[in-house]
Amino acid sequence: MSDFQTGWHLSSDPKVTIAADNVRLRYRVQRSGPRSFRSILGKRPVSGPVLRGVSLAAREGEMVGLVGLNGSGKSSLLRVLAGLQPATSGTVVASAQPQLLGVSAALVPELSGLENIWLGTLAMGMTPDEAYFARERIELLADLGEAIKQPMSTYSSGMAARLRFAISVAADPEILMIDEALSTGDASFTERAKEAMHGLIARAGTVFLVSHAAQTIEDMCTRALWLDAGTLIADGPAGEVANMYRYYAHSIALGKDRAAKKALVSATESHPPLFSGT
Amino acid sequence: MTRSSPRRESQGLRTQWRRAWSTRKSGAQLLSTPLRRDLESRYGDLSHLRRVGSRPPLREYFTELWDRRHFIWAGARGAAVTRYSNERLGALWYVLRPLLDAAFYGIVFGLILQASRGMENFLAWIVVGIFMYRLTSRAITGGVGLIRGSKAMLRAFAFPRASVAVSLTVRELMMAMPAIIVMLGGIVLVPPHEIPSVTWSLFPVILLLHTTLNLGLSLLFGWLGAVLPDLAQAMSFVSRFLMYASAVIFPIDRFIDHPTIMAVIEANPIYVVLDLYRTVLIDGAVPPLAEWTMLAAWALGALTIGFTVFWLDEERYTRE
Repeated sequence: MSDFQTGWHLSSDPKVTIAADNVRLRYRVQRSGPRSFRSILGKRPVSGPVLRGVSLAAREGEMVGLVGLNGSGKSSLLRVLAGLQPATSGTVVASAQPQLLGVSAALVPELSGLENIWLGTLAMGMTPDEAYFARERIELLADLGEAIKQPMSTYSSGMAARLRFAISVAADPEILMIDEALSTGDASFTERAKEAMHGLIARAGTVFLVSHAAQTIEDMCTRALWLDAGTLIADGPAGEVANMYRYYAHSIALGKDRAAKKALVSATESHPPLFSGT
Repeated sequence: MTRSSPRRESQGLRTQWRRAWSTRKSGAQLLSTPLRRDLESRYGDLSHLRRVGSRPPLREYFTELWDRRHFIWAGARGAAVTRYSNERLGALWYVLRPLLDAAFYGIVFGLILQASRGMENFLAWIVVGIFMYRLTSRAITGGVGLIRGSKAMLRAFAFPRASVAVSLTVRELMMAMPAIIVMLGGIVLVPPHEIPSVTWSLFPVILLLHTTLNLGLSLLFGWLGAVLPDLAQAMSFVSRFLMYASAVIFPIDRFIDHPTIMAVIEANPIYVVLDLYRTVLIDGAVPPLAEWTMLAAWALGALTIGFTVFWLDEERYTRE
């Protein structure tokens, strides 16, 4: 039996779908804004760490939430895991090409929704036959009615987000990565999006969801990773980690630095990351 | 957890992805030993894992590029179709622009300057030169801005990055088609009329070699533009300089006293390709074998070098 078929059903022993080993990432930017003549000649790019050695593994059927403050490296980690940004050091291995929810990039505002479905599905690597079959499902999930024949530039931001989400899910990727995508769209769509994602997980997939809202993670995920300043702080059941993170974020907002620091330490103690990157 | 039965069509997609994916080398041994041991003892076999986000070897790269051919085509078509969609006259501009271009050169060189430069049909000579030169100049200028312009796409999808260069070349060729038809029609209709001869059938062959050359240049300049973004500022000068160095407007007779300059221009692939077009379309003659070999060598050389250089630096294009 080839490994094509084995991935199809959730076995009692879920396989590893993605693993990261000590991933580090530094950013480098040219200093912008007014600068002196000397600094133009002696160009010194600004650089700093984004991820400081992250190791993790996820398995079939897991819906992993990533929480953390703005700038903690959540989105960067997602992009490194998806192979869209090379890490400065470290390795990522996966059982299939991860798909980032970001079809917007391939879409052309002047073309109609239908033509954009065609373009988006091909961008994800479908053949024309598969794209043809996927079209019906996308139309159904996006539920845009007659608007699907109008140019995308006429859509509201919510409608465009629905179409983008529908296209990404239709690819039925084994590993899907979502970056705060579900905040747009009305309640009925959120419900349907949730259903689509659960279907994906039931077919032995893994979903990563980035959000700085603890509630979203608690509602949708089975497991949560907490990232702070590029380091993995905690890894555990979504509800518990999200709760600790909520308390931490609340303390930060109130300026209680000592309470926040204590929350970090206790989170690491109660739900330590499985693999300590050294 | 409920288990929904896999639908046939989605199974097909996963199978296809797995096929492309499984050609990659196993990645488990790339993990550090303690982590690998730990994972194996906890979750079992890891042999199905492959490395993510690294540059695949050439053969796999070609396979993945070939698998994306429908996307390349659809992307190029989408961009070409919507080019004039904000204009009132819309698609009419595909024909209007080249018509206006041709009329401009006709008025300036034919009516005002009354230039003939000792040629029977100077107007046709110059129109063929300018229309066909534009393909190469757009390949170079487009190449320099390619990575910067496709950043959003590169950040969203993992595909062989050379796809964007191929897409650019296909798109430019599509958008040039109306202009080529206007050009061919123009030199037939405007006196002194060029009568289509048998040698016109060589035109597609030259266009094919020309496109190969353009693809190579787009890849090469795509890489250059990613390494040195400042190059975009210099492109208008490069394009203008090349125009004079390729005998687009001025015949090279003016350099007859400078054998070195003559030799350089005659070795210039853009000059060669324009000369081939002109020989075939205007003189109605079959160009000498030496020119064909020269163009073929340039085209294949540019493609090989451009592709290799672009592929070697594959991971650069998504770096922040």
